[in-house]
Amino acid sequence: MALNFKILPQSSFGLAGYWGLQESVTIAFYNYESNLSNYFGIKDWGISLQYGAEFSGSVNSSLYLLAMAKKLGNHSLSARFTPGYQKEFLFATGESIIINDTTTQSLEANYNYKELFGLGYSYKFDEQFNAGLAVRFFSQDFNQQIVKPVFGDTLYLVRETIGEKVNLWNVDLGFDYILNKNFQFRISSINLINIKDDLAIEEFQGFEMDQKRGALLIASYMPAEFINLHVLYETSNSFQVSATGYSKGFTYGLTAFHDYYQEPYIAGVNPAVGYRTDLFEILLSGVKYFSERNTDASFSRFYEEGINNIINNRYSFDKIVISMALNISGTPEKQVELIDVEIVRDIYPTFYDKYIEQPFAYGRVVNISDKTISVIPSVKIEGITADKIQSPPQTLAPGDTAKVPFYLIIPDKYMIDKATLSYADFYVTASSTEPDAQLQKAALINGMNSWDGNVANLRYFIKRDVDFSMNYSKNVISSNKSVLDTIPSELSAFYKSKIIFNDFVKMLVYTSDPRASAEYVQFPKQTIELKGGDCDDLSVAYSSLLESVGIQTALVDYKEDGEIRHVNVLFNTELDPTQAKYITANDSKYFIRKSEQGNDEIWIPVETTSLTDFDEAWNIGVEKFNREAVNNLGLAAGKVEIIDVY
Amino acid sequence: MKTFLILLLAVPLIVAQDFTVTEANGDVKYRTGTSEEWLEVREGTVFRSDDFVTTEAKSSVRIKSSKNIINLQELTAVSISSIKAMSTDELLLALAMEDMINAPKPNGKNNSSNTAVYGNKEGQNKNPEMKADNFGIKRLNGAMQLAKNGFKESSVVFAKETYRKYPDTKQISSYRIFFADILYEKGLYEEALGEYLDIAKLQLNKEDKFKVESQTQNINKILLNN
Repeated sequence: MALNFKILPQSSFGLAGYWGLQESVTIAFYNYESNLSNYFGIKDWGISLQYGAEFSGSVNSSLYLLAMAKKLGNHSLSARFTPGYQKEFLFATGESIIINDTTTQSLEANYNYKELFGLGYSYKFDEQFNAGLAVRFFSQDFNQQIVKPVFGDTLYLVRETIGEKVNLWNVDLGFDYILNKNFQFRISSINLINIKDDLAIEEFQGFEMDQKRGALLIASYMPAEFINLHVLYETSNSFQVSATGYSKGFTYGLTAFHDYYQEPYIAGVNPAVGYRTDLFEILLSGVKYFSERNTDASFSRFYEEGINNIINNRYSFDKIVISMALNISGTPEKQVELIDVEIVRDIYPTFYDKYIEQPFAYGRVVNISDKTISVIPSVKIEGITADKIQSPPQTLAPGDTAKVPFYLIIPDKYMIDKATLSYADFYVTASSTEPDAQLQKAALINGMNSWDGNVANLRYFIKRDVDFSMNYSKNVISSNKSVLDTIPSELSAFYKSKIIFNDFVKMLVYTSDPRASAEYVQFPKQTIELKGGDCDDLSVAYSSLLESVGIQTALVDYKEDGEIRHVNVLFNTELDPTQAKYITANDSKYFIRKSEQGNDEIWIPVETTSLTDFDEAWNIGVEKFNREAVNNLGLAAGKVEIIDVY
Repeated sequence: MKTFLILLLAVPLIVAQDFTVTEANGDVKYRTGTSEEWLEVREGTVFRSDDFVTTEAKSSVRIKSSKNIINLQELTAVSISSIKAMSTDELLLALAMEDMINAPKPNGKNNSSNTAVYGNKEGQNKNPEMKADNFGIKRLNGAMQLAKNGFKESSVVFAKETYRKYPDTKQISSYRIFFADILYEKGLYEEALGEYLDIAKLQLNKEDKFKVESQTQNINKILLNN
């Protein structure tokens, strides 16, 4: 037998033509012939079938293919059952036997080549690169009648059928490179790995499928969705050119193929037209050969030339095929993409509600759907938030890019001593409960005592230890009850503030920031327990003690006091200007502010670093305030700011 | 160290050279910084910038600064820091600061711009009977003296501070008109208009009413033409 018999397990020829790497078509997932990398565009599950008819004198219909595909993140899996991928050949072997009645009976041979099923896997490395493989199982059934002599009283011949089944596993690899939206390239092996049974019967030698190795190269130019152009070249010197497109739900394609083993030069075409939605696709395609198709040929010719493809060879007939695919998705289609996230504020856990009003990060999102969507940004930070913290939804028109804010809530009970590097997961969700896109960024979580240098944020330190401050202040007030009882109620706030200050300072010393920076602030409890602090710490503590018993306070931020800012405290005596005489005869020693209701009230500046007594602290505080805030117009010039704690 | 000591000594000297009493008649007192004690002013008394000087009835004082001489008549009270020349821009800044201070605390439930005097309801604009030695009135007199001595801008600022600390004095229309006229004279028409409109809410005599209405119309015309 000759060994040049060519029955290739596969080539790039497919019954629906070639469609490229389009996300918008589902054909790819069952068309292993030209998709050995197994890349496909479905979102979750895909099920499809191909049913067709072959016009071989009579019309023979058959189920060509059933396939299923599943996408798992960047992994793509598929499987197909191909009962219609087979070709059976019946031959007269050329031998015959003459029976007793002198009639002659020819001996026959039957060779059946089948591709039974295939499995595919692909991995998407990034937006530009996919790689995958396809494994297919072929079966070859060889049956032949032979004449066997039987020796007995007389020699006579009997007709007997011998047969052998040879299985073949075929593995090929494919790689896709998507340069950009317009240019895509693919390369695949042909017959890279073949694992087959050994053929035992000598008569069938040389009729097995050929295992000649080769390669398939594909280039696609996609200038627009409605027109894509593809060229496929096999190292066997066969090629295909294909034009496909998609517009308003309709798909259309025309593939012309040159088959090295068939005549004429362009052996035939695959026209196709279809319709698709997000849920399903239907495609009517056909194979039209340009040469005369014969139903029979001599065994010797078959022996000489062989065939090169199970479904596309010189003995194949024109076909019409209908392909149907369902794109079943448990998860909705991605509608929004998160391009980038910028963290614009460091995270200070003590500022627990600051990030509700001021976003700590902004993300850039793009609506990749064709409809207006509502995008919900959310964030989860490892170690801080157990759940995702949602930000207000943003409406985006189709194709629009927008900057979306990410807000954050830090739990009251959250505690962290030292700064820690954590990770923030940013999500954008469009229509379902599952995010459409997410990004992770490193985020620095500062310690509880960390402060950003903004005096307005000292209020968080004031509010945090309110229970401790309340106990402290109430104890001081209780122990001075006899004094306070003799004081008119109008002067209660003033004298409480005075008594608390005098008690507070008697055990404290002023110390510069222990970390020699303006970025560390003690909570009131720490200041009292440590018996000292700097201006921030002392102002925070005194303000907290007063606020805890209902005395309004404000921080005075002296922004240009040398190189370092200075902070002290203003408190509300709740006296009106006509009552000033009850606390001082010097009208320079107080400051009038309007209450929420528009009433004039006397506020007193206190220098909390003056740890002698209240009167001294008041005098020093008011001198500085009058000089820098009032006389030098610091309040108007922005050099001095009054920041109400509540 | 030597430099440091010289600087420490130089600062009060510079201030002392700026404000010296050249003549004091009658009962003239001064108060230093946060002190609650009034001290007698004599010829040659040197004031610090945070001092406050006051004259009683039939008393006066002449204070000489490095550039100017200011005469304070009877029943006046002036802070030494307000005896200074200010530009119109500085006056505008000071007025902005007053507006800021007089604004009710933010996030309040009542954000009305009620300018009624504490303790009175809006509409009760009767001129209060205040004694001439009321310290608020003394301050307004002092502010007028500042203006008459050429410190018009600082006189308005000092008056504004007085109105904040002694709200009752806002009811006296004659002072209000005097300081509103300064704003008008300085070309600060919008600020002056605000003042005149506020003064118009007071119970005015015929003369003051005519003056206020006339000035209001004048400013409206000017603003319309601009």
